[in-house]
Amino acid sequence: MATLQAHGIHAQLPNSFEGRIFVRPRVADEITYPVAHFATFPLPNQVGDFGSGAVTLMGPSDIFAVLFEYGPESVGTRLFARQGMPRSLGIDDFRPNLLRRGIGGQSGTQWFFTESERPFTFYAVLGSHARRAALVPHVNGLLSNLSLSPQPLAAAPGTVAWN
Amino acid sequence: MVALVIILTVVVLLLTVLVAGLLRSHADILKALHDLGAGVGDPSQEPINLETHNHSHDQERNQRRARNRDRNANGGPISSPIPFTMGSPLPGERNSTSAPTIAGVTPTGDALAIAVSGNDHLTLIAFLSSGCATCAGFWEAFQAPEHLGLPDGIRLVVVTKGPEMEIAGEVQAKAHSRLQVVMSTDAWGDYEVPGSPFFVLVDGSAGRRIGEGVANHFSQVAELVRRAQVDMQAFGVGTRREGGSRSRAFAGGLDGPARESANDQELRAAGILPGDPSLYPSSFEDVFPSDIDVLPPYPEGAGTNPPAQRSTPERRAG
Repeated sequence: MATLQAHGIHAQLPNSFEGRIFVRPRVADEITYPVAHFATFPLPNQVGDFGSGAVTLMGPSDIFAVLFEYGPESVGTRLFARQGMPRSLGIDDFRPNLLRRGIGGQSGTQWFFTESERPFTFYAVLGSHARRAALVPHVNGLLSNLSLSPQPLAAAPGTVAWN
Repeated sequence: MVALVIILTVVVLLLTVLVAGLLRSHADILKALHDLGAGVGDPSQEPINLETHNHSHDQERNQRRARNRDRNANGGPISSPIPFTMGSPLPGERNSTSAPTIAGVTPTGDALAIAVSGNDHLTLIAFLSSGCATCAGFWEAFQAPEHLGLPDGIRLVVVTKGPEMEIAGEVQAKAHSRLQVVMSTDAWGDYEVPGSPFFVLVDGSAGRRIGEGVANHFSQVAELVRRAQVDMQAFGVGTRREGGSRSRAFAGGLDGPARESANDQELRAAGILPGDPSLYPSSFEDVFPSDIDVLPPYPEGAGTNPPAQRSTPERRAG
């Protein structure tokens, strides 16, 4: 089981999952926050925060999931009132009309929450709504292996250092 | 005369004492060297009986240990074992063909994990370093991935050692923005990489390595990948061609007795039993019979017929 850790997000990836945890480079005065992508298919290098450029590549047995952090000003708002990441989803939580980009046959789910004083949304896409009974357990397997630190790590892995 | 005899006697006695002292000193030096591990044999031990060599060897070892314990207790020389390791063993569930997920960081510090198993495509993993001269040509070739000459559907991933052993800025300067680069020292251990450059080809559907090696130019790597792809189509490796497998042992990554048993099973299923003449070819014609043509009919009006591709006994059996 591969381990992925950066920016205060820690993931033990179930088999067949790959992932990426990154902070998008800033443009002008914007402030960017950590984003984590997880997928059971090869993730392209350039993927939108919520999967544009990736969800179109999904097969019927594939899963794509996003963990997206918002700014600290969102903490305490009603949208992020839920405390803690959902750890177990049901098949009824996935609906085709919850997709951010409607693609025939797929279905999705989205949850807003606060954990460790950090506001997040979790968004997941199933390659086939018809196969959700078989796919949702894999999403739950991923959720049960995600953890969030109160603060992003002080020194991100990969920071250039003198040898 | 009497005086001369007395003087000679005294000189002889002095020389005797001197020689005895030198011999004693030499014996002490040899003993000390032996305790340090130099030399062969132990002068304080009884000679080895060749007939009972194994037993006496064990006794000698035990006596030496006991002697060392006594010396240590008396403040004498301490002999301590020298730690010797052969490298960290692979986890029990892995073997020399398994293809675990590659997890590490990108040169920009993001975390990245790439799953090379559990999918239906081939992944070419290039283990490179930023400093090796041979790798420079590959970094340059990867600037234009579309001109690499790789067959369609091959995923290319570059793996360098982790940021504790590579300078991330150097790697970033060499990597193209469209190139997936993972910095992971663990991956080098997982894939038993002897040095850079080194290439590994993974069949995602079978979840195992199907080729690995070194090359000086990427054209050589591309040719090896192309051949591997042809082999996969010919032997139906993995689940890509359901029902098309000619060798379940090869497809399943079996080895040793399990592979032999699976092959025997396939031969029996094809009606080839022990002693079958086809198992003992005696001529070139037995291996490549000229009366079998596996190529499709050549189109009319296309000139002379091409040379026939001959089938192998395995193809006939399958």
